[in-house]
This record gives sequence, structure tokens and C-alpha cells, in this order.
Amino acid sequence: MWRERTQLGSIRPVYEREGYDTASQQSVRCSNNKGSTVKKVFPLIALLLAFAMIAAACGGSGTTETTAAEGTTAAVSDQPTEIDMWIAFSDEARFNFTRDKAAAFNAKHPEYNVVVNSFDSYNTVFEQAVLAVDQGNAPAIIHFFEAATRQALDAVDSAGNPIFKSVTDAIGGRTEILGEPVILDDVVSAAKNYYTVNGSFYSMPWNTSSAIMFSNMDMLKKAGVDEPPATWAEVDAACEKVMAMDGAPKACITWPNHSWFVEQSLGQQGELLANNDNGRSGRATEVFLDSPGIINYIGWWKDLADKGYYLYTGQQRDWDGTSNAFQAQQVAMLVYSSSDTTALTQAGVDNGFEVKASFMPYNQDVPYEGNLIGGATLWMLDGLDKTTEDGALAFMNFFSNPENAAEWHKITGYIPITNAAEKLLEEEGWYQESPNSKVASDQLNAAKDTPATRGAILGNFVSIRDVITIAIEDILTNDLDVATRMADANVEANKLLQEYEALYGG
Amino acid sequence: MVLLIAGIVIAALGGAIYTSWHSDRRTARRLIIGAGVAAVGATAGPALMNFCAFEPERTAIDHILAYTLMATGAWLGLIAAKSFFDRQDGKVDDDDGLGEIKAAGFRLGWWVPWVLLSPTLLILVVFLYTPAFQTFALSTKLTRLAAPRAIPVCFDQFSELLIDDPVRLVAYPFLAALFLYGSRFWARRTRPGSISHRLSEVASVLASASVFIALYAIFSPGGGGAVKYRPVYVNTVIISAGIVALGMAGGLALAYLAFRKIRGGTIYRTMLIWPYAISPAVAGILFFMLLDPTAGIIGHLLKEWFGITMPNYREHAYLAQLAIIAASAWKILGYNILFYLAGLQTVPMDQIEAAVLDGASAWQRFRHIVLAALSPITFFLLVTNLTYAFFEVFATIDYMTKGAPAGATSVSIYEIIRIGVDNGDLGRGAAQSVLLFIAVIGVTVWQFKTSGRRVSYGGG
Repeated sequence: MWRERTQLGSIRPVYEREGYDTASQQSVRCSNNKGSTVKKVFPLIALLLAFAMIAAACGGSGTTETTAAEGTTAAVSDQPTEIDMWIAFSDEARFNFTRDKAAAFNAKHPEYNVVVNSFDSYNTVFEQAVLAVDQGNAPAIIHFFEAATRQALDAVDSAGNPIFKSVTDAIGGRTEILGEPVILDDVVSAAKNYYTVNGSFYSMPWNTSSAIMFSNMDMLKKAGVDEPPATWAEVDAACEKVMAMDGAPKACITWPNHSWFVEQSLGQQGELLANNDNGRSGRATEVFLDSPGIINYIGWWKDLADKGYYLYTGQQRDWDGTSNAFQAQQVAMLVYSSSDTTALTQAGVDNGFEVKASFMPYNQDVPYEGNLIGGATLWMLDGLDKTTEDGALAFMNFFSNPENAAEWHKITGYIPITNAAEKLLEEEGWYQESPNSKVASDQLNAAKDTPATRGAILGNFVSIRDVITIAIEDILTNDLDVATRMADANVEANKLLQEYEALYGG
Repeated sequence: MVLLIAGIVIAALGGAIYTSWHSDRRTARRLIIGAGVAAVGATAGPALMNFCAFEPERTAIDHILAYTLMATGAWLGLIAAKSFFDRQDGKVDDDDGLGEIKAAGFRLGWWVPWVLLSPTLLILVVFLYTPAFQTFALSTKLTRLAAPRAIPVCFDQFSELLIDDPVRLVAYPFLAALFLYGSRFWARRTRPGSISHRLSEVASVLASASVFIALYAIFSPGGGGAVKYRPVYVNTVIISAGIVALGMAGGLALAYLAFRKIRGGTIYRTMLIWPYAISPAVAGILFFMLLDPTAGIIGHLLKEWFGITMPNYREHAYLAQLAIIAASAWKILGYNILFYLAGLQTVPMDQIEAAVLDGASAWQRFRHIVLAALSPITFFLLVTNLTYAFFEVFATIDYMTKGAPAGATSVSIYEIIRIGVDNGDLGRGAAQSVLLFIAVIGVTVWQFKTSGRRVSYGGG
């Protein structure tokens, strides 16, 4: 080894080699010079050092903890009660709205301090909340999407007690809490129908939307289509015209490959996603992913894609990519969540085209039953002390009071969650000013109240939604037979649901 | 139960035979120890699982998996026994390179090294071995994140990844192993340089390929409630091999160019190493911004300058895989360049000079001297790059394709996180990570057996 290194050194400048050699020789000499005593003592010193370091590290952390604990106990009397809130919105408009309302509440009730934490998606906040609950440091208010309803209801801590408390029970018939009027009785029927479990609200409704369609009217009119198409057949006809015209866009229509649109279509066609009335008259134990409604819808979807009318961005749940394509005028129509009505309408103004919102296109061959909601609610942790619980309840009611709910609707496009908010907007003349904003509420009001339009509540819904979107992606990109592929997906989804029921059910 | 006892008896017999073959002293005591160790090793695994695989309703697939587990346990026991016997026989080479250190000190007793090692060992036990053991335990249970209960499911979460045919499940790996050992046996019997030796080398390469084909054949193609694991396996092989090949070849090429004495060489070298400091997630975002069909820079330039519309890489399986390979290889490039630059400094210049004098071309010098001198580094990089390709590409994939199109870029680690974390299916996630763990051990052993032999660490 030595010899080889010296040889290598020969191609390097002389001073480097000398430096290298001297250093090594010195170190050798050092170890030779150190007597036998040093040899014996050295390991002991090392040992002592190691222990000292461990002791220091452990002792250090211990001290910090004590100080922190002392700090909180001492300050309890003059510091406001903290209420943590986790939400799934990280975009400027929605996160800032929440933070501003929290600040307004804190100013109004100085004994409380509502702290808003944001996560980048429903899935993330859900995962993080499940982990936090598991570790026992969950926040007082958690923002869960509709697909997590069953799992939130079933969630128990390690002692087997439910994690979340019914807000109806917690309110206990009061009409106002800490001076904030309770809005729960005034919630619009579509949201009430979805979120009512065993006869009452378990969680506090907040952002509620529906799937609607946005059309680039300039493009449609150029192609000779005067009104947004209402049915699947009309979409086909309009797309034929759009794609045939000069300067045709990249594709005619797009929407995210998200299971929510499949669920919406099932509601329209009056079919159930799961047994026991979509899991509402009893726990859902079976899903129907190979039902005629699903096969019809995905079949129509694939047909559009095969003809080059539908633009697939190549990603599941691609809200950004599809919205960008519409804004960049690469497609004439976009089926999307009403949550972005304001932003999409404004995007049309900014890019110089007229955006018109309309109902989500439906299957003309079966009677139309109605669309369902989407969105999320606020869940309150069980086992909070009375002060914190009342603060959380007061905040959630304040957060969706008529003024705030109306403002939230204007910023986003989520429906006004209470009748009072809707009335307020009407009085202000908002709907004349922005007719697109009325479409989602109108669509939900047009729906019949049946198990199909109430939407499904079932366990492992997030994974089952994954099974659906994976199957659709497979069908769209690999040109598979819809019925066969969905039959496979059905087996897979039912296995997931049965496993969930084995772990959580009765 | 009969099958279990038969398995233990076979393991004991195998243990005795193995001990008699590999030991100098064939005493009765040793044979009994060998048999006992093998029997205990074989029983340990099934015992931890409450012998579930031998319950009446279990299938042949469960028995096969249980036997595999038993064979592994017996083999591990025998390796331990063998090293013990070898030490007794004085066959272990005491010159383990520590002679100088031993001479210099550490005469304080056998426990001193253990005490000094204890902080590291503690960390390993708490943060590595315990979670690893828990992963094994989880993989045999049906459970979800924060679920109130867990249901033991034996090998179900493994068998659903495999084909539902016990005969083929045994036959394919067995044939591949036979081929592998046969070709190696043949190679040892032939004289180096002869034609038959060349042929045996070709056979040995084919045998290695046959292992991959056998694995392809035993993973489930999906359908009927089974997990569609075959495509995941194929994606993992393609994408990992692509990353390692591109990353290492590119790294060596760039390092070789940057090593030459050029103006501003230090700057080039620093710039080349820089991608290593970027996290896989950022690499994903960067390539997404380059390649995205609607918002990407490359697509925009192609359209502006040449009027070409760039295809959407996320819609085509091969393009998507290529994009992942490119992004991941680019990210590891800096690391490879760093090591190759260091390695190039150890290339013996006198040999190169001699080769120049003998009239060797630049390619010949590179092939026969530089590459040979770099073989230890190459081997090291092969192991680290493969680990990277197996374990660290998740973020890149998540940002670029999310496994699209239709799962064509969903590699093993991506599936594990998607199932175990995103879907909260801890048991299945654990089962798949055990599989990945076995795969990594397998690949590493294979590397040591094949590349390891050709690595030259120089003389002296």
C-alpha cells in the first residue's frame, strides 16, 4: 500500500508529496513516542468521553423539558386558550381566508387563540391527522373530506374511545355559544343530506361544492355551438363541431381523472355506489364498480378519448393540469369542482374569453336524478376540556356565519353553506353580477333527495377511489375493455372494503 | 403438522450433511450440533408465526413459503455453526488487518470494544433492528394505520403477490438456480482461455438473466383479487437498471473529461458535483419543469424553434420511464463523478506511460488500465447506486408521474409508500418492503459473487 501511494505521488508536484510523507511519518513517530501508559489510558479517556457526551445529551434534553413545562404552568392564567385547526388548503386565497377569520375571532374573543395549520391536500391532512391521533397529539379541529367520513366516525384511540365528538351533541341544543349564533339548523339541504349520520350532524359543514362544467363560450360560438351542451350526446355533437373547425384546440373537453366525477355520474343516473343505501341505512359492505351506470359513464369517457375529444393529462387527480389546459384554451370545456368558479371566471377575463358555467353533462338515456356534493367538514376532537370545546364550537359557528359564508362563497365558488348566506348574497345582487356562481347551488337544489344523490359513505373509501382512478387510467391509456377492467376493479375494491369492515366493523 | 415435522427433520438431516461436508473433523458431536442448529433455525421462523402456515386450511403456496422461511433459518444457523467450527479448527485467518491495532493497545479485556461500540449498537437496535423486526411482524397481519385491531393473515399478503400455481412457483426458481450453479460449475471445470470456457461464461450470463425471468414468471399478473405485482417488478428492473447504467456510465465519462488538465477545471468539477446536493424531490420538480408538455421549457422551445409538438411523456409508458431514469440518473451523477474523480487519482500513471510507449491507443489505455484501476470504486458505486435506485426515487417519481401512465413508472418503493402510507394499508406495505429487503440482499450477494471476483484492489 505504501509503495503504491508513493508511486502515485510521483506524478504530483514535489511539495505535495513531501507534505504527505512528512505528515504520515510524524503520525507514525507520535504513536511510537507515546509510552505504554498513554496506550492504556487512551481507551479509558475515550470511554469516559463517550459516557460524558451521552450524559450531557440526556441531561440537556431533560432540563429543556422541565423549563418548558414550568413555563406553561406559570403562564396559564394570562395566556389565551389555544385551539389548533388543521386545514387541507395551502393556496393563498383559501388559507388566507381561514387565517383572517381566525384572527378576527381571536380579536373578538381574546381569551382564545385559534391557530391555523395548512396541509397541501385532503389526503395529506387525513394521513397526518390519523398519525397525530395515533400518537395522541391531534388538533382540536380537523378538516376532513367527504370520503373520510366513515373512517372519521370509526376512528378510536388506543383505549377504544371515539376520537371525534358529534358537534350536534356538543352544542346540545344551544342557540348560541359565547355569543356566536349556532348556524347548524340553517345549513342548506344538499350538505345536510350528505353529512347527516344517524339523524344529526357529526361534523361542522364548511366547504361544499358540486361538479359543474365550464365552457369557453368564444370557442364554442366560433364552432357554431351557442349554449353549453347539457347531455352526453350534446357534448359529443359539440365536440365534433369544435374539433372540425379551423384552428381547433388540442382537444375538446377535459376533467380530472378523479373518482368524484364517477360518483357524481352515479348520482345523476340514480345508481348506488355501495349497498345498504350507499352505506346510510347500515354499514356499506359491498361496492358496485361494475354497475351499468359506471360502465356507461366510463364507456362514454373512453369514447371521447378515443375520438381525440377528451384530453388526458396523464395523471390521476390532476386538478392543476386540467385547469391549466382550459385556461390556456387548449380545450373548450372543463368539468370541474365549483370550488374554483371565481378563479376560472376571472381566468377567462384575464385571457380574453367568456367562461360560462353550466350543470355537469348527464346521460340522456336514463332519468336524471341529481348531483351530489363534494368538499369537506370540520371535525372536533373528543375529550377536550369545556373551555376549549366551547371555543372550538364558537369558532366553527363564527367561521360559517352568514357574512363569512357569503365571503367564502365569493372568493372561491363553494356554495353558500346556509340559507341565510344565500339570502344575503341574493340581496346584495351578487348572482346578477356573477351568474356562474349560482350554478352549483342550482344544480344541488335540482337534485331529488334519494340515497343515490346523497352519496356513499363507506370504509377505505380513499383506497377504493384509487382503485377506480387506476382502472380508468388503465382503460384510457392501454385501450382496455371497460366492463372487463371494471369487473377486476370491483373484486379489488370489495376486498378492500371487506378488510376494512373486518378491522373496524361491528 | 406432518409437513412441519417433516420439514424440521429434513432441515436436521441437511444440517448434519452440510456439517460433515464443510468441516475437517467429522465427529459425532459436530454432526449433532449441525443437525440441531439447522432444526432450531428452521423452527424459529414458523414458531414466531404460531405455525400458521401448517394449519389445515392453508394451501400449498403457504407451505412453499413456510419451507422457504425454514430453509433460510436453517441456513443462517449453519453459517453461524460453520464459522464457530472454523474458529475451533484454527481455519480463520487471524490476520484481519487489525494486527497493528491489537499490538498497539486494547489489552483491557474483551469487553472494552463492546462498551465502546455500545452507543452505535444501541442506535442500531432502536432505530434499525427493532423497526425491521416490526416490519416482518406487520407483514403477516392485516391492519391499517390507527385501526383498532389487527388480524393475523399468515403468508396471505405474500402469496397474493405470487402466481397461484405451486408447481410453477417452485419449478421456475429451481430451474434458474440449477442453471446458475451448473454454469458456474462448468466454468470452474474449463481452462481459462479455451473456447469451452468462453461458452461457459456466456452460459453464466444467460443463467443470471434466467433468474430475472424466473422472478418475472412467479410474480402475479393480477386479476381475481391478487395484487398485480408483475408490472411493478418489471418497472423496478427497467428503471433501476436504467438509472444505474446511465448514472455510472455518465458519471465515469464526465469524470474522465473533467479530470484532464483544463482551464477552470476546478469550477467544472464543482459544477458537475453540484446536482448531488439536490434532493430527489427537487430533481423531480426540475425535470417536470423541463419536460412538462403544457408548461415545460423544452416543449416550448421545440415548438418555437422547430414547430414540433412534444409528446406528453406521462401518456407513454416508455417515455415516462425514460424521463424518470434521466431525472434520477442526473441526480446521482454528481455523486458518481465525485467518486470517479477521486478514483482517477489512484490510476497508476507509470503503467499508462508504459502503455503509451508500447503504442496502446487511448481506448485501450482506458479499457485495460483506467477501468481496471477503477474497479473497486465501480463496485462500490454499483452497490450505492442500486440502493439509490431502489430506495430513493420515490420523490422524483411522485413529482414527475405519480406512477403514471397506468402504473408504468410505479416501482417497488413507490408501491410500498402508495399502499402503506397513502392508503394506510400497513400490512401490505410491510409485506412489500420485506420483499424489497430480500431483493436488495439477493442483488448484493449476487454482486459480491460476480463483480466482487473481478475487482482488483491493487497490490501491496
